[in-house]
Amino acid sequence: MSKKHAELSPAARLTKWLVSGSPFVFLLLFFAAPGIIMVLASFRYPGEFGGLAPLTADPGTLHGLTLETYRFFFSDLIYTEIFFKSLLVALATTLICLVMAYPLALLIARSPKRSRDFMVLLVILPFASNFLIRIYAWMILLGPQAALSLMLNGLLGAFGMEPVHLLFSPFAVLVAMVYVHLPFMVLPLYTNLERHDPALLDAAQDLGANAWQRFWRVTFPLSLPGIFSGSVLVFIPVMGMFAIPDILGGTGDMLIGNLIKEQFLGTRDWPFGSTLSIMLTIAVLLFVWVAAKLGSTRGRYA
Amino acid sequence: MKIFSHITSDLAAVFWQPSRMASSYIREHRDHREVGVFLCVLCVLCGSWFVSSSALARDELHLYNWNNYISAETVARFETQCACRVVQDYYSDNEEMLAKLAAGATGYDIIVPTGNAMESLIRQQALRPLDKAKLPNLKNINPAYLDTAFDPGNRFSVPYAYTLTLLGYNVEKMRELGLPTDTWAVIFEPEFLEKVKGRITVLDSQRELMAAALKYLGYSASDTDEAHWKQARDLIIRAKPYWAAFNASSYIKELTVGNIWLVHGYSNDIFQANLDAQKAGRKFSIASAIPKQGAVLSLDSMVLHKTGPRPDLALRFIDYMLEGSNSAELTNLIGSGNPNLDALRYIKPEIAQNPAIFPDAQHQVNLEMLRDLNRHQRRVLSRMWTEIKLR
Repeated sequence: MSKKHAELSPAARLTKWLVSGSPFVFLLLFFAAPGIIMVLASFRYPGEFGGLAPLTADPGTLHGLTLETYRFFFSDLIYTEIFFKSLLVALATTLICLVMAYPLALLIARSPKRSRDFMVLLVILPFASNFLIRIYAWMILLGPQAALSLMLNGLLGAFGMEPVHLLFSPFAVLVAMVYVHLPFMVLPLYTNLERHDPALLDAAQDLGANAWQRFWRVTFPLSLPGIFSGSVLVFIPVMGMFAIPDILGGTGDMLIGNLIKEQFLGTRDWPFGSTLSIMLTIAVLLFVWVAAKLGSTRGRYA
Repeated sequence: MKIFSHITSDLAAVFWQPSRMASSYIREHRDHREVGVFLCVLCVLCGSWFVSSSALARDELHLYNWNNYISAETVARFETQCACRVVQDYYSDNEEMLAKLAAGATGYDIIVPTGNAMESLIRQQALRPLDKAKLPNLKNINPAYLDTAFDPGNRFSVPYAYTLTLLGYNVEKMRELGLPTDTWAVIFEPEFLEKVKGRITVLDSQRELMAAALKYLGYSASDTDEAHWKQARDLIIRAKPYWAAFNASSYIKELTVGNIWLVHGYSNDIFQANLDAQKAGRKFSIASAIPKQGAVLSLDSMVLHKTGPRPDLALRFIDYMLEGSNSAELTNLIGSGNPNLDALRYIKPEIAQNPAIFPDAQHQVNLEMLRDLNRHQRRVLSRMWTEIKLR
């Protein structure tokens, strides 16, 4: 490593610093610093009017550092429960996204070179309109007067079943979560699948593998890194999402993101909100790390 | 960990998308009031929020008010009268305003907080006492709205307008189903709820919903007895399966299009929903009613912030807003309650005679303003709220 460094000319070294410098500063300013502030805030008492209680004050009033938010968190199963629920929603979203995105990504990757860019553009196209407008659009699509609801309830009615409400339900939340995050699964999968050498498939065919075997023994194992990065890109934002359950969710669709938001707004309890955020970060990192570990072990056998 | 290197390369390809989404969050979240506040608070945490209070050369009055809470004509007339400019800034939530001030925003002459938020500001000593000699029109205010527990003797505040938290409903549907609209029982009792299952929304607000439940149980809306809270929580959990959603923003639209028939909501919003429904030529109308058990009244008052550079102009503006004709314009615009007795004669008769905006003496008695909770109570309530949402 050091030998390599010595070979670099001063100009190249400067370029290297300049190139890596701005992301480094960015991370420091917008990730490390707020993270540290959050950790510090979690050890404080909430202020009487919101915010944080002072670090030093007259004896008799609450001040200084404390572990009470962590005690509060662990003294009550309900917060673990809500983490678990968010985890399930995130996993379900990731899985559905994967199942829907894989064929699409494969289709794009196997299309003629000329049409690929156009198809990728189509995948990204929803981003051209605002995120919230697209969520509000689902309110109309899933509403009780909408064609979808009328058709479904007509069908259910024909079998003598109770009509269902699609809007304001866990179903609506899941639909919107998948809808919003689908491109994040398609794009990494596509970048991965596009890199595959078609010669490998020809070789497999020459060796007598049928279409299914070619996919399962060649394409799929090679695409595992793409699956992993796509899953991470979907899983992490879904874990923290609060706008979708807020807008489309029913009376029981509180996720961890909503709970954190509530701490900062309704309850004005910044320390506990910070604690929840830290727990969320730890949970997500832990989960992704375990998934990566499992992925790499499996990769060795493939 | 080799697998992470793949992520980084893929991340680069899609990096602009999340950043774009983040910025669109901020831009389009006017409807979705909490997000603005949330970002505010985050910024405070980052310690990076900064609002400059520049020295002003010309006459300017800085007004920090709710969204859509003053008529443009009223402002324009004041500007001609005082030969000054009214610079307006808006918030959509008391918490948003408090968070912004707590983060060090300065330079606002007048703020229009709700009672409990005002109490916070008073206790933080952030307000300037009023010079009542400069407010001859203060006599117009109905004494019932003066001398509240938040500001005894009105040392700091002048009532501006009020909102009630009550029942809003689709008149035709309620008549068709034969449901009462004068009692909280209609949103809490399964015998009524069965007929409107999935067609009800309640406010996504811990305090407001608990207040409705407490009122229905016969307690005070500001009751802080944990045993009473638990009863209210159980009542809410029992009724919850029948409700469509906890909603504090889009219920206006849902009422207007006829998807939702009954709401627990704010009087201004329900007034707006009816206006929209009539404008769209719907075959039904939306009305509101104060339940007989009582309801929450939120009184917004004008106060002078300590950092405001022009208290003289601010007092002049307050006195101007206390004139009946000016005050009435707001009520005519958004259907807000009006504490100004002199304004009544300028208010459109259909609004002035609406008992859900100007309640009669019998309902007036049961209206209550919410007191602020202390940090311990806030945390206990939040714990219950989480339970309500999760069960």
